[in-house]
Amino acid sequence: MIKRSRWTKFRESEGATGLLMLSPTALYAILMLAAPLGTIILYSFLTDGYLEIIRDFTMANYIEAWTNDLYRSVMIRSLGVSMSVTFVTVVLAFPIAYFVSFHVEPSKKSLWLFLITIPFWTSYLIRVFLWKVILGYNGVVNSGLMGVGIIDEPLTFILYNVNSVVITLAHAYAPFAILPIFVALEKIDRSLLEAGQDLGESKFVTFCRVTLPLAMPGVVASVLIVFIPTIGDYVTPQLVGGPEGRMVANLIQLQYLKLDNYPLGSAIAVSAMGIVTLVSLVFLALTRRYLKGPKG
Amino acid sequence: MIAFQDVHKYYGDYHALRGITATIRAGEFFSLLGPSGCGKTTLLRTIAGFEGISSGAVMIDGKNMAGVPANKRPTNMVFQSYAIFPHLTVAENVGFGLRRAGLSKDEMAKRVGDALEMVGLAGYGARAAHALSGGQRQRVALARALILKPKVLLLDEPLSALDKKMREQMQVELIRLQRQVGITFILVTHDQEEALVMSDRIAVMFEGEIAQLADPETLYRRPSSRRVADFIGTMNFLPAKILSEAGGKIEVEAEGFGRATVEADQAPGAASGDGAAVGFRPETLTILFEGQQATDREATAVIEEVVYFGDMTYYDVRLDGAKTSTRISMRNVFGRPVLEIGAKTRISWSPGALVLFR
Repeated sequence: MIKRSRWTKFRESEGATGLLMLSPTALYAILMLAAPLGTIILYSFLTDGYLEIIRDFTMANYIEAWTNDLYRSVMIRSLGVSMSVTFVTVVLAFPIAYFVSFHVEPSKKSLWLFLITIPFWTSYLIRVFLWKVILGYNGVVNSGLMGVGIIDEPLTFILYNVNSVVITLAHAYAPFAILPIFVALEKIDRSLLEAGQDLGESKFVTFCRVTLPLAMPGVVASVLIVFIPTIGDYVTPQLVGGPEGRMVANLIQLQYLKLDNYPLGSAIAVSAMGIVTLVSLVFLALTRRYLKGPKG
Repeated sequence: MIAFQDVHKYYGDYHALRGITATIRAGEFFSLLGPSGCGKTTLLRTIAGFEGISSGAVMIDGKNMAGVPANKRPTNMVFQSYAIFPHLTVAENVGFGLRRAGLSKDEMAKRVGDALEMVGLAGYGARAAHALSGGQRQRVALARALILKPKVLLLDEPLSALDKKMREQMQVELIRLQRQVGITFILVTHDQEEALVMSDRIAVMFEGEIAQLADPETLYRRPSSRRVADFIGTMNFLPAKILSEAGGKIEVEAEGFGRATVEADQAPGAASGDGAAVGFRPETLTILFEGQQATDREATAVIEEVVYFGDMTYYDVRLDGAKTSTRISMRNVFGRPVLEIGAKTRISWSPGALVLFR
C-alpha cells in the first residue's frame, strides 16, 4: 500500500482544481488591480518632495484635496456631470429598451440589439472627435441652424463646456444603459400587464404600477453602469470639455504627469473613488425595495 | 348575459374563430371545451377585451363591447399563469383593482381580508407573492378577481398547472365559490372531465367553431357528432345502415347488433358524409354472468384484450359479426372472476343506449 503524500492528496482534491481554474484571473486581478490600487492608497498618505516621494506618513494630501476650492469644485462638477449623464442616458434609454422589448417582433429583436451596438464599432476616441465636428463653432449643428435661418450667430454653449461633455458621454454610454433595462423588461410576464388592465387600470397606470417597478432592477443596473465609469472619464472632458468642462480625471492627470505630485493625485483619486462608492451605496439603499428578487 | 353574434377572428390568413354564435346565461357555470388550438382561449379573450374581433359582435348585458377596452369591461380574469404581481404582497395583489374605488385604509384592509377568507387564505395578506405554492397563487388570483364583483369571471385553464389531487380539490371549491357569489363563470379547459364535473353548460369547440353546446349529460349521452363523442369520454362506433325512418323511429342495422329501432332523439347530429354508425359508451354494455339473463337484448362476443384497473376492468371485445373490436368497461364485483382473453361471452345491450350518427 502506497502512502500518498499530502501534496498528492491536495492535488487531487476538488479545491485544488478550483484554485487552478481561477488562479489566472486571480493573478491578473492581484497584479493589475489590487497592487496598483494598494500603491495609490499608499502614495496618498506619503509626502510630496517635488521630484521624489518622501516616506513620511501624512494626512496633508487629503486635507488639501478636500479643502482646496479648485479641487472641490472640480469634484462637485464631476459628480454633477456624471449624474446628468446618468439621468439623460437612462431616461433616453428606457423608451428605446421598452420599444424593442414590447413593440418589436420577437424575431427582429436580436437585429435591433445588434443595431444598438453599432456605435461600438467605431473607436471611442473617433466618436468623441465626431461630436466635436457636430457641435463645433463651424460644426454641423451651427451651420445647419444658421443655414435655415433659426440663428444668426453660431451657438457657443454647445462645445467646450459641461453641456458637450454630457451630450458626448450620454451618447457613448447609451447601449450600456439600454441593454440592462431591455433584459429586465424582457423578463416581465406579459400576462401581468393584461392582469393590470383586467383589474381596471389603464395602460398608463398599469405601466406605472406593474412595468416600472418590475423594470427597476434593470434601471438600477443601468444607473450604476453609467454613473461609475463616467465620473472618472478622462478623454471626453479633455477633448470636448474645454477649460470649464474639466473633470476629476483631468485633475488627477494634471497632478501626476504635469505637476509630478503623486501623493496629492493619489489622494484625489482615492477620494473620488470613495465618493463614487458612497453615492452608489446610497442609491442602492434607496432602491433596495425594488431589488429583492424571488429568492430574497 | 353574454352573447356572441357570428363572431369571426382572423390572425392574418389564419381563421381562428369561424362564426361563433352562442348565448351564455347569467349566473351559469359555462365551459369552453376543446383541444389546444381550437380557439377557446381566443374566444375567452374576446370577452375580456384582450383580443379584438374581425366581424360580428360580443355583447355583455346587452351592450356591444366593440371598442370597450379591457379595463372598462365588467369582467375579471384568472390567468393560466395566474399573473400574480411578483413585486407585491398577497394583500397588495388582492387589493390591486380597488385603488380606483377610493376606499379608506381600514375599508380596504377589510375588503381584502374578506376576499382572502373567501378563498381560504385568511392571514396570508402580508406574505410575499413569490413565496406561495401553486394552489395558493390560484386562490390569490381568484380573490383578486372576485373582490371587484365582476358580472363575469373568466377562467383560462386555471387548474392545468396543479397536480391531480389539488385540481380535484379546486374543482369542488370553484363550484362552491360560484354558487356562493352567484356570478357567471366562464371556464376554458381542454380537460373534458373537468368540464363535465363543473359546468352547467359546455360548448365543445373544434377549429374555431362550436361543435355542440349543451349540458354535460346531453353532451355525454347524445353527442351530435362522432368528433364530440370521441373527445368527451370514450365511445365505440360500429358501422350501420339506416333501413327506414318513420314517425320518430329509425330502424337501423348495425354490425354486431343486428336490427334495432332507435328514437329520433338518439340521432341528434346532422349527416357527416362518412356513412352511418351507431355509437355506445363502454359502460352501457354488460358482460353477462353464466346463467344471467339480459335485461333487454343479447349479443355474443369474443374477448380480445383485458385491461385491469382495480375497481374497473376494460374488455376489448369483438361482437359476432363486427369487423372491429369495441371496448366495454365493467365494475369489478366481488366473487366475479376477471375474464380471460379468447373467452366467448354473452353481452347485454339496449337500443336505447345507442347513438346514431348519420
